Amino acid sequence: MSRAIWRGSLRLGRHRVPVKLYSAVEDRTVHFRLLHIKDRAPVEQRIVRKDTGEEVSKEDRRKALPVSRERAVILRPGELTELEPPASRDIDLCRFVARDALSDQWYDRPYYLGPDGNSAAYFALVEALARTDSIGIARWVMRKKRYVGALLLQDGYLVMSTLRRADQVLSFSGIEPAKSAKPKADELKLAEQLVSSIAEDFDPTAWHNEYRQRVCALIDAKARGKKLEPVKPKRRAARGDLAANLRASIAAAREKRVA
Amino acid sequence: MPERARKANGNGHERAAAAVRAFWSGTISFGLVSIPVDLYAAIRPRRKSMKLVDEEGNPLGRRYVCSKEGKALDNDDLVRGYEIDSGKLVVIDDEEFDSMAPEVSRDIELRSFVPFEQIPPIYYNRPYFLAPAGRSSKAYHLLSAAMERSGRVAIGSFVMRGREYLVAILSENGVLRAETLRYADEIRVPKAVGLPKRAKANAKLVGALLKEIKTLRKDRLDLAELEDREAEALQTLALEKERKHQDVIEQYGLEEEAPEGGAQVVDLMDVLRKSLSKRASVASAERALADSSSRSPARSHRKRNGNGAQRDRTKTTRNRSRLKQSSRSELQKLASELHIAGRSKMDKPALVNAILRAG
Repeated sequence: MSRAIWRGSLRLGRHRVPVKLYSAVEDRTVHFRLLHIKDRAPVEQRIVRKDTGEEVSKEDRRKALPVSRERAVILRPGELTELEPPASRDIDLCRFVARDALSDQWYDRPYYLGPDGNSAAYFALVEALARTDSIGIARWVMRKKRYVGALLLQDGYLVMSTLRRADQVLSFSGIEPAKSAKPKADELKLAEQLVSSIAEDFDPTAWHNEYRQRVCALIDAKARGKKLEPVKPKRRAARGDLAANLRASIAAAREKRVA
Repeated sequence: MPERARKANGNGHERAAAAVRAFWSGTISFGLVSIPVDLYAAIRPRRKSMKLVDEEGNPLGRRYVCSKEGKALDNDDLVRGYEIDSGKLVVIDDEEFDSMAPEVSRDIELRSFVPFEQIPPIYYNRPYFLAPAGRSSKAYHLLSAAMERSGRVAIGSFVMRGREYLVAILSENGVLRAETLRYADEIRVPKAVGLPKRAKANAKLVGALLKEIKTLRKDRLDLAELEDREAEALQTLALEKERKHQDVIEQYGLEEEAPEGGAQVVDLMDVLRKSLSKRASVASAERALADSSSRSPARSHRKRNGNGAQRDRTKTTRNRSRLKQSSRSELQKLASELHIAGRSKMDKPALVNAILRAG
């Protein structure tokens, strides 16, 4: 059981769906402390003036917003407070779009939504979202900050993923490879064969963070005063003609599949 | 593009087209085919990120200090330690970290190809662009074309800066993108969160909600709904104070700032024009939409019938993009013709803004 991090109410027209927010992500990072190499004493962080190295206490720190490359403007605490959005528990659903209308670049951080109290409205919204195969775009204010999010379904439950902003997401156009870099028809055919020879369904459980496991094993070994063998480097990829390499790869993939 | 966004872009701190950080160089191995690539951030920080200064506007920074000696430390003086249950610290040096990830750290091995729609958005973590780094970009284009044709994306993993990343490599408009994914053990399941068992939904309520969804449903997203209102409010306030000469810090020296984690800041546009295509152009989603809609027939129709203000805004967009393609000296010349004060100290984005304001 996790603790809810926030409570709010999804608003859709005149309907309200009270929900609780839970983090959908579990931090598995191995956290290290920074130490001084000489005496292994923990390191402390100080905020200092860059030019003099003089420490600056919290009350004397200000925030400045750059307005051009050389200029920044200090925004005083009072001014920042004035810009804070009014507190609210409403999560406004203002738009629904097709599930693929947002590319992966937009998605930031996911939260599970669970029913707060009566779950009838919650599961009705799950059902309605599933039937229209759409995602909702929502705006809300949480802990004095504005958020934009995408309401979607995961395993039959509502998930709200915060979204990045329009100004952050970069995209391209006008990409047309030079003639010399254009793949030939036979190469393309081989590449497609290679893709289909290792085509699978997405199975996230098949992937493990091996590096993290190794680091944990290393910590464990060192704590017991033991040494750990370094990981052996992998074989290097073959060099040679593109088509020949593709053919050899397809053959290798087939062998693996049979075995 | 809505008025609010236009205003913020027009007056605000114009950012270089696509100044992003270069993170990693390595090789994608696709079977026995190697594709050398460089990795760049595919998202920019929000425009609301502020710098820490003191009351006089002197830039502040972080400094590590030894808790025993009180002495300021450089990066070379630091080592990482893990606190085990007994409270004891296990120290691991850089060499040991490296030995845990030898050559794999330079390699993204593509191990399977999956339909992209099978990856739930809950797994998406952070997007990067991949640019070809080798002498020939042929293998890069080959992988890109093969994936676009098959409708599949590649899954692999790689190590970057002391962390392993699961990654989906996809191709869009001829450019490869790497979306790092969360590992399955980093995602909670509804049961562990404590969500209640699924209940049958009330048909009448479902019907009512369906009706609401349908009235709000659109095929495409209007990016105005995803604009950064918080950043706009901050920018507006900052610009207002700048006009009134309140709390302005001159010669702030943003460029000198050491980039986070040592990643180099580059212009993505330059990178892609050099490595992929001379015609490549990069835009934020917001701008891409504005540019394409100003070309679309629907827009020009509206323009003909529209009011003057709308026409002017469209003209400004065109001028802005044309100005941005000019060199700094061309802009300087134009600024001198317009008698813009302080022009010699302005950089390109500032010149573009000043010229637009004067014109």
